This record gives sequence, C-alpha cells and structure tokens, in this order.
Amino acid sequence: MILAAVLAWQLLLAGVVPALTRWLGRDAGYLLAIGYLIGAGLLLTRLPVILDDRAVTVSWPWLPSVGVAAGLRMDALSLVFALLALGVGAFIMAYCPRYLSARGRHTDVYVTMTLFAGAMLGLVLADDLLVLFVFWELTSVLSFVLIGQDGRSAARGPATRALLVTSAGGLALLAAVVVLAGSLGTTDLDRILAEPGLLATAPTVAAGALVLLAAFTKSAQVPFHFWLPGAMVAITPVSAYLHAATMVKAGIYLLMRFSALFGGRWAWDVTLIGVGLLTAIVGALLALRQHDLKALLAYSTVSQLGLLVGVIGVGTPASDAAAILYTIAHALFKATLFMLVGIIDHQAGSRDLRELSGLRRVMPVTVALTALAAMSMAGLPPTIGFVGKEAIFEALTDVHGVAWLGWTAAGLGVLASVLTFAYAARLVYGLLAGPIRQRGLHEPAWSFLAPAAFAAVTATVLGPAVAVLSPLVERAASDARPQGQAPYLAFWHGFTVALGLSALTVVLGTLLAGYRRRTDRLFAALPTAPPFAGAVERGRQALVRFGALVARPARAAEPGPYLARPLLAVVLLAAVAAMLAGPLPAPRGDPSRPGDWLVLALLAVTVAGLLTTRSALAAVALTGVVGLLLSAWFLTAGAPDVALTLMLVEVLTAVVVMLALRGRPGRLAAPGRPPGVAGGALLALLVGAAAAAGTAALTGRREPSPASRWYLREAEPATGGDNVVNTILVDFRALDTLGEAVVLAVVAVGLVALLRGPARPPAGGAAGPTAVPEPGTAAPPPGPDQPAAGRAGAEPTSGERHRPDPVLALAYRALAPVMLGASAVLFLRGHQETGGGFIGALLAGTAVGLGQLAHPGGAPLLGRLRAVPLLTTGLLLALAVGLAPMAAGRAFLTPIKVEAPGPLPGSVTSSLVFDLGVYLMVLALIVAAVRRLDTAPSGRVPGPVPEGVR
Amino acid sequence: MSAPLIVGVLVAAGVFLLLRPGQLRLVLGFVLLGHAVNVVLLAAGGLRRREAAVDGAGPETVDPLPQAFVLTAIVITFGITIHLLALLRRRRRGRGQRKPEEEEA
Repeated sequence: MILAAVLAWQLLLAGVVPALTRWLGRDAGYLLAIGYLIGAGLLLTRLPVILDDRAVTVSWPWLPSVGVAAGLRMDALSLVFALLALGVGAFIMAYCPRYLSARGRHTDVYVTMTLFAGAMLGLVLADDLLVLFVFWELTSVLSFVLIGQDGRSAARGPATRALLVTSAGGLALLAAVVVLAGSLGTTDLDRILAEPGLLATAPTVAAGALVLLAAFTKSAQVPFHFWLPGAMVAITPVSAYLHAATMVKAGIYLLMRFSALFGGRWAWDVTLIGVGLLTAIVGALLALRQHDLKALLAYSTVSQLGLLVGVIGVGTPASDAAAILYTIAHALFKATLFMLVGIIDHQAGSRDLRELSGLRRVMPVTVALTALAAMSMAGLPPTIGFVGKEAIFEALTDVHGVAWLGWTAAGLGVLASVLTFAYAARLVYGLLAGPIRQRGLHEPAWSFLAPAAFAAVTATVLGPAVAVLSPLVERAASDARPQGQAPYLAFWHGFTVALGLSALTVVLGTLLAGYRRRTDRLFAALPTAPPFAGAVERGRQALVRFGALVARPARAAEPGPYLARPLLAVVLLAAVAAMLAGPLPAPRGDPSRPGDWLVLALLAVTVAGLLTTRSALAAVALTGVVGLLLSAWFLTAGAPDVALTLMLVEVLTAVVVMLALRGRPGRLAAPGRPPGVAGGALLALLVGAAAAAGTAALTGRREPSPASRWYLREAEPATGGDNVVNTILVDFRALDTLGEAVVLAVVAVGLVALLRGPARPPAGGAAGPTAVPEPGTAAPPPGPDQPAAGRAGAEPTSGERHRPDPVLALAYRALAPVMLGASAVLFLRGHQETGGGFIGALLAGTAVGLGQLAHPGGAPLLGRLRAVPLLTTGLLLALAVGLAPMAAGRAFLTPIKVEAPGPLPGSVTSSLVFDLGVYLMVLALIVAAVRRLDTAPSGRVPGPVPEGVR
Repeated sequence: MSAPLIVGVLVAAGVFLLLRPGQLRLVLGFVLLGHAVNVVLLAAGGLRRREAAVDGAGPETVDPLPQAFVLTAIVITFGITIHLLALLRRRRRGRGQRKPEEEEA
C-alpha cells in the first residue's frame, strides 16, 4: 500500500501547488522539497524488507478482461531509482525558488515537475508492462511540456524533436509489450522476468530489439543522441532534473530491468557494449568542443549515459553494481553541475566559458563547488565519481568471452574517460584562470547556493563513505540479474588494474587538457551537427508538408471537395465487397408489397423536384413530403410508432426550418457550373447504387433473430406493456434511451451556447412584464400585447415583426389544447399502444412550434416554457428512476412496479416516470430549437441584403 | 426489392445535395441520408412480416428491435438537423467577414 500512497502523495503535492504558490509565491519550492523528502522517507521505511530480499508489492485489478492488473512492485533496483527521482527532485525543488524569477509562471513549472516526479516513480515501480508503458509515455510528454514551457518559439523545435524521438521509442516499447504479452500470455513484469526460459527465440529477438530501441532513444544513445542537447533550451532546473538525473535514466532502468530476460545473449550484450561505448566517446568528443557550459554538460550526459549502457552490457554481478553506483554518482554530480551552471548564468548573465574567465576572483565559493563536482565527473578521488569509475573499469576488463574483448572495452572506456577528464579540466580551468571580464559580479545568496553545495558535498563524501550504499547497491544488482554476489563496494581496493586505468586516465587527460590549442584545431574538423539530426529534421518537415498536402481538400469552403474522398471510399468498399463476398444465403422471397412501389414512385418524383428546385421554401416542403411518404411506408411496414414519430418530426423539422429561414433569401444557392453538377450527380448515383446494392445484399436473407423472438415472447409478461417497441425503449434498453436523451440534451445545450449573445440585441431584450430574461435561453422578446413605446431603443421594424399572424394565432388557439391533450394521451398509453415519451413530446413540441410561428414575440402560455429547466427536470427524473432501484441493491434502471392504491385500476411502473423524463428532455430540445432558431425577433443588423439581389 | 431502391434513391439524392453549394442543401441532404439509414435498419429486420408488435405476437409480427433503433435514430436525426441549422444561423451572424455569395441559403 505504501507504494500507492507515495504515488498518491506525489499527485496530491501537484494538486496543492497552485494553493502553495498563491500563498508563498516561488518559495513554494521549499515546501515541495520537503514533500519529496517525505515521499522518499516513506519508501525508505521499507528498506529493511527490501534488503532482506523481499519486494514490496501492491496490485489491484485494472483491465480484468485482458488480465492486466495495476501492479506496483518495489525491489532494491526500483528503490534506487525511486530515491534518485525523489532525492534529486528535492534538491531541484529547493533550488527553484531562487532560480525562478519572482514573477514567472512558477505554478506551471512546479506542477509539471511534481507530476513528472510522480510519473518517474510510477515508471520504476511498475510491475506490469502496461503500467510501465503508460508511465514511460507520461515522462516523455511531461518532458515535452517542460522543454517548451515558456512558449518561446526557439524552444518549439527542440521540444518537438525531443518528443518525436522519445515517443518513437515509446512506440517501440509498446510493440515490445505487445510481443511479450502475446507470446507469454501475461503482462506481469515479475512473472515475465522470473522465468526467462519461457520465451521462444523469435519473440526474444524482436522484443529485445524493441526494448533496446526504446532505451536508446530515452537515454540519448547514438544515433538518437541529438535530442538531448537540443532539450537544453529548457530552464536549468528542468535540464538538471529531467535531462541529467532522472528521465534519461529511465532507459538505463529499462535495460537493467530487462537484463534478466535478455542479458547473457550475445547480440544483446554486444549491442549494449558497442553502442554504449561509441556513445560515450562521441558524446565526450562533442562535449570537448563546447563553449556553452550547458551544452558541454548535455554532451557530457550523453557520454556518461553511454558508459552506463556499455557497462550494463558486460553482464556480471560486478558490472551491474558498477552501473547502479555510477547511476547514483552521475545523478548527484551532474545535477549539481547543472545547478551551479544555472547559478553562474544567473549571476554573470552568460554560460559561455570564454566570457567567464577569472570567475573565481569574484565567486570563489561557486567556483570551488563547481570544481568539486567536476572532480566527481572526471573520476578523481575522493569523490563518488572516482569510486564509480573504478567500478566501471573493473567491470569492463571483465567482459565475458575472449580476453581481447575485455581489453578493447576497457580501452574504449578509458578513452571516453580521458576525454571526460579533459572537458572537466577545461570547464574548471576556464573559470579559474584568466582575467575577469565583467564588473559587479558577486556570490549569489547563500540560499541559492545551498542546495547545490549540499549536493556537491554529498557527492564528495559518499566517495570514502561508499560502504553506506553498498548493501542497497548489491541488492539492486542481484535484483537486476540474480546471478551471484556483487563485490562489496569500497573506496580503496588496493593497487588493482582499475586503479592503474584511473591513473592512466588522469595522465592522458592532463596531457589532452594541456595541449588544448592543438587538440581544439583537430576537433574543430569534426562535423558539427550529427548528420542524423539533420535527416530527422528534414524528414519531419517533409512529413508536415505532406500532411498539409493531404489536408488541402479539407480546407475548401464547400463540403464537396472533402466529402468526395469518403464517398469514393464507400463506392470502392462496395466494389471490393462485391468482388470478395462469397455466396450469400438466398433471399426469403420478395418482401415487397404493391404499396411499396407506389411509395417508391412518389418518392422518386418528390426527390426529383427537390433536387431541381431553387426555392428554399419548396426544398423544405419537398423534404417534408419525403418524410411523410416514408412515414406512410413505415405504417405499412408494421411500424406505427416509427411512422407517427417520423411524421411529427417532419412537421417539426419543417416548422423549425421555416423559423430559421424567416427573413432569409428565399433562393437556394446556384447549383454551380455544369461539370461540377455532373460530377456530383455521377458520384451521388454511384454512392446510391452502392447503398442500394448493400441493402439488397445484406437484408431480408434470414429468419427473425433470436433477440426479436425473445422480445416478442417476453415483453408483455416481463413488463406488463403490450407495445413491444415501447417496452424495449423504456424497460429493456432504457440505458440506451437515456443515452439518446442525453444526446438531445447536449444538442439543446449546444444550441443555447451557439446562439447566445448577439442573437438578441438589446432592443428585443428590454425587460417587460412578459419578457423575463433567463439564463439558458435568450431573453425572450417583448410580448405581443406590450405597447411598442415600452420597448426602449427598439428598431422601428421590430414592432411589426412581433405582431402575431392572425390566421396562425387562431389556429394556435384552437389546436394547441387539442395537441397537448393528444400528447398527454399518447404519452400515457405508450406502454400499451402506439405512443410513448418521444411521440408525446414531439406532438407537444409541434404545438410549441406553432405558437412561435403565430406569435413571434412569444406565444401565450406555451411561450413561457424554458428549455433549461425542462432539460434539468427531465434528466433528473430519468436518473432518479434509474438510481432508485440501486438503493434496493438492484441494477441501474430496473423497472419497479407499483400497484395502484384504492380505486385506480391497474398498476404503474417506474418506466412511465422514466418515459416522462425522456418526454421532458425531447420537449426541451424542441423549445430550445424553436426559440433559438427563430430569426424573426432577432432584430438583425440593419440593412439586410435585399432578397433577389443574387 | 423496393426497400433497396428506396435506400438508393434517398442516398443518391442526399449525397447530391451534400455536394452542391449552400448550407440549406447540406441540412436537407443530411435529413435524406438519415431517412435512408432508417429504411436500412428496418429492412435489416426483414420486411416480410408486417404486423405491428402491439397486443401479442403472431406469426406475422414484425421484428420490434430495429423499430426501437429507428425510433431513437429519428429523434437523433432531428437533433442533428437542429444543430446544423444552429450552425447555419451562427455562420450567418458572422457574415460581416464573409463574402456575400456565401450568404445564400
């Protein structure tokens, strides 16, 4: 549980950051540092258990259908990386308050960094491949956010590049997860690693290569190393934390974790050693050429990550211990160096070594601390860097197999270290020697220096006191690969080969640093930008251009160009299906009736008129006729509910469209030039033919489905309703219906949001007795009976527009009560006969629409209906009916039957109340539509384009 | 064979309207496509039995399940129509920045 608690704690910290920064400003970092340390302390309480070779685990079901559990597991290896994430994080958090400017966006920085620390924790604690992958991606995304956080355009390119490279690695990891899960049938990391023998050869090779790719991208190995120096556009705390101490170590963690599975195989080991040492040398060479301190440290990080990867490839207990120890050492001294460079940059306004000469005269403490951390980087005693490098040399000479391989590896390691020594010396020398170039420089406040000083001293003291780390490192090494006891870590091993190599490093490194001028000229000849980076950049730009090309049709003003492709795809799909489809079952006779052909004929005529007319009114009316024809057809097809619903919807659609088009040009747009019309017609014919063929091929070829027979048999006994369609809607599939009703509610809310504001200019919205402005619906226009004088500022024309139409008003007065009564009857009898909530509400809505047509200013009585209250009531009603049975321990939306008391006959089921909720929501949509889309009283901008001009 | 032909006519007309300029045509084309889908759904349940599924089930009673789908589909299509009309109105409101020929319905 403690693992989940620490993760939750981290999340909580991120959550309270805004409150903290509001209270303390940038000083919130100090509290966050304490918070990180509390998390680390919580993890450390389990140290005895872990040193006892037991892991701490917690797990809860996540995706039980695919057997994935959200499992966390902490062994010593995880603990080391978790402590690094939290410990270095605490240093950085304590560093941030003085680094960040007082008026910056520190909340964003703190929140993202804290979330990142949580993601990093989750990554190293994950006990399931999917969990691991999720956290892995989270670190990439948060890194992207942190690099590009200040929104400078200069940061956008590098941030994108970093994201592209690391997320490509993330995809590789996902593929590896799929391979492993597919061939082993589990995503449980512990089980997968426990029995490496289970995996067959082919998946091993594939998964191994993919894991390598993931780790190499994350840990910036050649040839993917170019993203890391680019990421240095981020602020220094981010560089120190993500791109030196933690995130780039995720690749190292992954390699160590999977060593149990893939290690010891020739290809894995050789790849790791080869790529790792190559990266170590390339990175160090590039670092040696840098004058920008941050760039120097970035390439140095690349180089040292390479060294780590190489050592992991050796695969002995000693090498695993060396890798873990050096991971700790590197995190400590590199984070320190970054913090100090940040301080120098902050104080001197420059990170260029050439402008920082003689800095020791004015900032002696800062420079001394830098020198201390650089000693660790160069591997000089007594620092932890020295012990770590010794261990690495020791491990490299011990490569399995042929003797010369070990010596080659050690030689390459020494070469990388010599270069490292040289650039470390150069860094320190640049700050020590030479004249001071700037005036007015001084030491920073002690509070700015303190975190870096503490880290620098820790990194130094841990050298002689390395024995403190020994139990944990040994345990972690055997967790990575259970194959024997790692050697005890000690500061002094006696006169060993490794010590000799260290001495050799120092001598050669001093020579290299001494002959700076000559070597500089040599290195300057090396290509500056890694060619791979340029290729990636060009590839990315080409991709973006290609995307723009593909998307071009979608940017047309008319739907035609971008609908053409999906429509052609429909035709193509039908053609392919026709070619590939096997023999279909024979149709069960021709189900057509004579009436069908009549409908079809009338339909064809109506549609022909619809396609050719240029009058908007005629088009709307003909569309309505199409709907009425279809509802007649539905009636003959045994679907009276559908027919009635469709008929009402047609009427309502016509009403709403008329309302929306009131005062609009009565002509449809010109159909366009003949070739376009012909092309459209051809495409339309093709799609129509495809649809017809599909319908003919895929319907009417089987007996009624078991579900159909079940509903027909069970509906009445189960629900007491005779109308099977209605019982399906409100009893059996009530959740679907609720979903549909919610969609309608969303449309209503969207309508209110879309047509908010200027739809009703102040003129119409002037308060009057009948015009109560209300949130949710626009302020209704003044009532018809209101004197025009009462409408301050109204346009002269709007008074005419608000006058009710006498004929329609009469019709409304006569018909509305009938319609409402019929609506109530249809609704109430819905369970037994044709009717129900949808139909009832549509009929009532028609009355509302009629009212609006007759009284543009707001109909009496029905004009007072408001969409949002109706919507809320309906939704709450439906939800209450759904939730009520849950109190009795039954499923959501189970119908409850209540016997009517006393004189009333029969019984009432809760589905009637549910249907009432649906009724109200549908009515709300209609009310919103009628009110919102009515253009008449909107008092449009003066001078509308006269009709018929175009 | 009547149902497939009805579907074909409706789809062809709907697509043609979608491809022509003018937003009102877009809305109407969408309505026609909605009708076509409803016919397909009903046809999927079979059109040989045509007795309404009210008051008991006989050998000629229709499949009620597609009807339930169609019923909700009709109302949803209505919702979409309204939404499209709202978009149409919204665009008209911003017509100050638009070319006048886009103003036509």
